Amino acid sequence: MRMSTRKLLDRAFTWGACLAVGLMALFLVLVLAPILVRGAGAYVFRATTEYRRMMLDQFGRGDEAQIQAERAAVAEARRPLYEALDAFERSLPDLPAARRKELKPAFQEVREGLRLLLGPEPGEPLPALTRRLYGQTRWDRAQEKVRNVLCEETWDYSGEGEGVRVWVPRAPKFAGTALEPLFPLLERDLEGLLRPRLTFYPRFLTDKSLDIHFFGGIGAEVAGTVYLALGAMLIAVPLGIVAAVYFQEYAREGAVITLLRSCVNTLAGVPSVVFGLFGLAFFINTLHVSPGKSVLAGSLTLALLVLPTVIRASEEAIAAVPRAYKEAALALGAGQWRTILTVILPAALPGILTGTVISMGRAAGETAPIIFTAAVSYGALVRPSEVLSQATPALSWNLYNICTEHEAVDEIRHVQYGMAATLVLIVLTLNLTAILIRARVAKRLKG
Amino acid sequence: MILTERERAQRKLLGLLGRGVLFAVTSVAALAVLAIIFFIARDAWPFFQQHGAGAFFLSKAWYPAHATPQFGAAAIIAGSLLVTATAVVLAVPPGIFAALCLSDVLPFGVRQVVKPVIEVLAAIPSVAYGFFALVVLAPLLQDKGGRLLAAAWCVLAVPVLSLAAVVAGDLLTPERLKGLAYRLVRGLLTALFLTAGGAVGVWGWRALTALQVPSGVNALNASVILGVMALPTIISVSEDALQAAGRELREGSYALGATRAETLFKVVVPASVSGMFSAVLLGVMRALGETMVVWMASGNAAQIPKPWFNLLQPVRTLTATIAGDMGEADQMTGSAHYHVLFAMGLSLLVFSFACNLAGERIVARQRKRLRGG
Repeated sequence: MRMSTRKLLDRAFTWGACLAVGLMALFLVLVLAPILVRGAGAYVFRATTEYRRMMLDQFGRGDEAQIQAERAAVAEARRPLYEALDAFERSLPDLPAARRKELKPAFQEVREGLRLLLGPEPGEPLPALTRRLYGQTRWDRAQEKVRNVLCEETWDYSGEGEGVRVWVPRAPKFAGTALEPLFPLLERDLEGLLRPRLTFYPRFLTDKSLDIHFFGGIGAEVAGTVYLALGAMLIAVPLGIVAAVYFQEYAREGAVITLLRSCVNTLAGVPSVVFGLFGLAFFINTLHVSPGKSVLAGSLTLALLVLPTVIRASEEAIAAVPRAYKEAALALGAGQWRTILTVILPAALPGILTGTVISMGRAAGETAPIIFTAAVSYGALVRPSEVLSQATPALSWNLYNICTEHEAVDEIRHVQYGMAATLVLIVLTLNLTAILIRARVAKRLKG
Repeated sequence: MILTERERAQRKLLGLLGRGVLFAVTSVAALAVLAIIFFIARDAWPFFQQHGAGAFFLSKAWYPAHATPQFGAAAIIAGSLLVTATAVVLAVPPGIFAALCLSDVLPFGVRQVVKPVIEVLAAIPSVAYGFFALVVLAPLLQDKGGRLLAAAWCVLAVPVLSLAAVVAGDLLTPERLKGLAYRLVRGLLTALFLTAGGAVGVWGWRALTALQVPSGVNALNASVILGVMALPTIISVSEDALQAAGRELREGSYALGATRAETLFKVVVPASVSGMFSAVLLGVMRALGETMVVWMASGNAAQIPKPWFNLLQPVRTLTATIAGDMGEADQMTGSAHYHVLFAMGLSLLVFSFACNLAGERIVARQRKRLRGG
């Protein structure tokens, strides 16, 4: 090969290698950006008057007088709509039969659409489902819902392949009827009907959910995740530190130690869903630590899962303690125990802490091990006194659940994104903490 | 400090006792893995006893809820293997390039920034990746799948094919030609190869743009995300291997006049190939054991795609079957459906142990060789 070609290849390699790193960073941005940006929408969004009404009714929050005044104003703005509905319904029998047949189903659709958008009609008996008590609480959802009233959803199959969705305005269909003024009113004055206002809803993090996440927050899930992660650490950290001390300070190389070490390594390679199976078969079906799924069983399972990480991190931290520390302690007459407890472990603490925090992030984010041991789909907040026997919702499992098995997946995208963003932020914060601790330790070791 | 005989004995005894306690705790931690094997195998055993291993591994009929249930897991195992293999094939080239970049190309300062990026990529919970696959990537694939793949092909094919054309033109030009004749022949050959490469590129572009993606949740979606999840493991383990190859090797190669790319690919990579192999094995284990992403993104249809490499069809994997079916089998602890899920868990366990063992062997052998054994 000529020199020029070799140089070209070398340059191409450099570019390719940098591109690979860039690609990785790109993936990170591609995955995190939509989750974090749209997840923020669960906390900060334009809330309608229905949201404030719901908050007052269900959570007792907000200035009651102000909300009542707003409600009266909104009801006044909505009156022409309902008058048009009534007038049309009254005029329906007078219409020619063919036209009546054509308009009646469309009218029902408009009426149902309005109920979804603005809540129950005045004077109507209140529906049983909480989600139907209020109209759209979020302005973004309302704008989508108003399209269902204004337009009819049809599919155009004239092109190739699958059909294309086309929105056909309803107004021309109702031309000349009493319903006609409703459409321009809705189109023009939706803001007046719903009064969107930018709202910060930090209690999304701690509120209970209403009617399976239609309203309210993710408090029960957050609490479950915290219980599970803390419980796992409570079990794994003492075990892990003891094992690490043994491996580093006591063990002499031999067949037994090699076996134990390779056992720990193998444990790290067990697929997470197998941990779940084991937790079910051992902790629940054999040891009966709880009558069924529980936070305790889930924590035990997660503890096993993170144990190899904790052991490895603690071992590294202990190994990094300068030999001189240990020798000085021994020379001063301290026994091996005292040396470990008062010299080695304190010196290794930041390193152990790093490993612990990272493992905690892992335990908080894992899903597969808790499916059969701890997690329930829809559950109330578990109190700290119930953790030994109660199953709990958890962010990771319920995120899966509300974006696959929920009955109205499209209606609660903001909750799904909010949950995903919260989970990711919890895990990333823990990891960031670990990175910071490590950076500080590195600085201190440098002097 | 002078101790009496008795105190000394007491101290010794206490020390021994402490040591014993430490050993016991450590053994508990370490023997957990044996307990896992035992309990998974114990609950898998009744299934093999009743239905036999033959049908489990060979039959494709997976009808667990039928009146006469059939538990053929061949299609599910094939799905696991297909998704895992694709993920690793997708992740290994960029993973190794990124590792090379980290160890030999980037200056120290930049490396300090890139490393946390890798850590964050590894730390994102799998269910968040699954959510991304299901809610963001799947609709995108379904609507614009063909164009997306064509764009990826473009980014990949244009530089690779033009480089290949230039290299081929260089290699095929006879050495003895000089001056104008050389330039003429080489130019002609390169142009010829460039045209051929262009034809291949256009053909690929056309084929991919015409592609219709019936559903966004399919083997490809799951594989891409699994590949991203396996990247951090592959990068960090192979980077360690590359670092371990040492400075002398590189300096020797540079002294002989090799370029950086030649040094890396002809000297450093061959020297650390076993470390890279264990990186790939770890990537395989990560992808094979992953549950949430495949459950959410692979479509969960217990079938072998036709043809088998058709990644745009949905598949079902072992992990997703365990996670998805255990909810249903929960009430019937002790049923065949319950036990077959443990049989699947056991298969996963055996496979990951095999990978682990192979990886450890390779690393041990490499260490011995480096020590000069």
